[in-house]
Amino acid sequence: MFDRKKLEEIERKKQEWLNFSKDWSERKPEFKTYSGIPIKRLYTPLDIAELNYLSDLSFPGFPPYTRGVYPTMYRGRFWTVRQLAGYGTPEDTNQRLKFLLEQGATGLNLVFDYPTLRGYDVDDSRVEADVGVGGVNINTVNDMEILFQDIPIDKITVSLVNCNPSAAISLFSMYLVAAEKRGISFKVLDGTNQNDFLMETAITFAPHIIPPKHSFRICCDIIEYSVKNVPKWHPISFVGYNIRESGTNAIQELAFVFANAIACTQELLNRGLKVDDFAEKFSFFFSAHNDFFEEIAKYRAARRIWYKIMKEWFKAEKPSSYMLKFHVQTAGCTLTAQQPLNNIVRAAYQALAAILGGAQSIHVDAYDEALCTPTETSALVALRTQHILQEETNVVNTVDPLGGSYYVEYLTNEMEKKVFDYLEQIKEQNGIVEAVEKGWIHREILKTASEYQKSVETGELKIVGVNCYRVEEEIPTEIFRPKPETVQIQRERLAKIKKERDKLKVQEALNKIREKCWTKENLMPYVLDAVRAYATLGEITNIFREEFGSWKPPYILGLTVKVTQ
Amino acid sequence: MERRIRVLVAKPGFDSHWRGTLVFVKALMEVGMEVIYTGNQFPDEIVESVLQEDVDVLCLSILSGSHLRIIPKIAQVLREKGAKDTLIIVGGTIPKQDIPELKKAGVDEAFMPGTPLHEIVEYIKNEVEKRKGKR
Repeated sequence: MFDRKKLEEIERKKQEWLNFSKDWSERKPEFKTYSGIPIKRLYTPLDIAELNYLSDLSFPGFPPYTRGVYPTMYRGRFWTVRQLAGYGTPEDTNQRLKFLLEQGATGLNLVFDYPTLRGYDVDDSRVEADVGVGGVNINTVNDMEILFQDIPIDKITVSLVNCNPSAAISLFSMYLVAAEKRGISFKVLDGTNQNDFLMETAITFAPHIIPPKHSFRICCDIIEYSVKNVPKWHPISFVGYNIRESGTNAIQELAFVFANAIACTQELLNRGLKVDDFAEKFSFFFSAHNDFFEEIAKYRAARRIWYKIMKEWFKAEKPSSYMLKFHVQTAGCTLTAQQPLNNIVRAAYQALAAILGGAQSIHVDAYDEALCTPTETSALVALRTQHILQEETNVVNTVDPLGGSYYVEYLTNEMEKKVFDYLEQIKEQNGIVEAVEKGWIHREILKTASEYQKSVETGELKIVGVNCYRVEEEIPTEIFRPKPETVQIQRERLAKIKKERDKLKVQEALNKIREKCWTKENLMPYVLDAVRAYATLGEITNIFREEFGSWKPPYILGLTVKVTQ
Repeated sequence: MERRIRVLVAKPGFDSHWRGTLVFVKALMEVGMEVIYTGNQFPDEIVESVLQEDVDVLCLSILSGSHLRIIPKIAQVLREKGAKDTLIIVGGTIPKQDIPELKKAGVDEAFMPGTPLHEIVEYIKNEVEKRKGKR
């Protein structure tokens, strides 16, 4: 990008400057990013001397999309304000969703409680404590209908945070059938599933996980069905966010996500689909952590990496197949229980990084999330954080404002290099599915998480209110409490449905799913039929648990992890 | 030879936030404690494991917000079934005002997010030492 002669001149001047400043001391012997990339005192054209503007950056909307996927970015349209919501009964959450829409949210982001995410019904005696906590409780299509009552799902986009494929297949089916019953065609439904096998087998632990390869198969069944029948829907969101929350760094976040996307692409190609039939339906979900510039570089590098993978490796031809679009959530793991109002500041800076990195939709965390499910007050502050960024800061009015920054471009290049190196390591494990089966992924995550914790404990990494600037605190007054009657309400509703439904029809539909488990047929149509007959989430997921068995998480830390059987 | 401190670490119910738990497990192992990590278990299974393994300490990690609905039951049943001296500690997203209720149910201590690992390690060592004296 720079003239050779000019660079030589700069090099000479730099030596002069280093000489001049050699007696100036610095606060620390070394500075580095959260992922460990050394940070120099100053960046100059010398650090990005090899950068080629047209092939490495180019213009927004042009490959390799480093500067953004759309030519006008936020000058054309703001990112989608997509705040996470879900708690208690479907009625409770229906109200919260309406509240968010009235307050200016432009998309919905629906989170389910643990029993729902793991595919257990509310009448299972072991799940009581978790019902309606941290998400909404769903058992049958009837709950799903109540959840979206009077919400125009043919007009707004709905993101379903149904992480585990083994339960996501039922939850997505319930959403589709709920739409069908309102006379809404699958063709107009727009939104996203989470549906990520890494969530089921590597990022979260739970009793009775199904083995990675079966979780991966169901994930791909959902994608295949959706691509063919629900054309606007995004059947998978590769979850970098939770990978990051589990303790990894920015490089691992991108590498795990892309390794997973590569595996899905390969599997769908094996099933006879063409890359341009499905790649544009992949969506991505990243974290916005504390290291401001590294996060921005991460998003910019991610677009360039995805372009190379899809264009160069998989020979995609449609631009939408190699344009990376993504949702961002500010990092919940950076929030502190101490001095919780400080979290407003953290989340705002993190969201700013996502914007400077060109995100398509954003969720800002509420300040009380280290203590409880967000209250209405904290949820509103989070929502308004987005509105302040949109309306007041003026950061949205030019595309990729940090493009050309010596530091940001240097970091973008470093991120790209390191992610490709890491992808190579995953390849050596025979790809992501085997890397999970062998516990390699789990060990990698734990290694980074432990290092992070250590640097917090030694004070090398400062967290305000935790290892510095601590105060004796008053007990916060407003804490969100789940309603105790949720279990009862949900149990009564489920009992009524079980009594009234056509038992024979349910049994037949469930048997059909069981029969198809060990064939290569796509399971989705059979799950849809079961859902139409009011089969429950637990009944369907139990079939997978029974057929595929419980998978023991692999050997970690020299401990054999005991699992409940 | 002195008996190593035996610790059982479990995640009650469905809460899937395992990062802190395993980082914690690793820290206990590094100071020489003997750790059994059960992963996610339902309450009755945790009680069963504690009684079977004859541990000095039970550590429960929970970040799902359902601590008041799940932890007291475990503690009460354990105390009833004779595990009177087992140190029971809880870590996770526990609001300060919930700690008295947990303690009333038989929990010895609850640690809020951001507690340094070495503080918990010291606490365990001191408490186990005290209880040995009583035995």
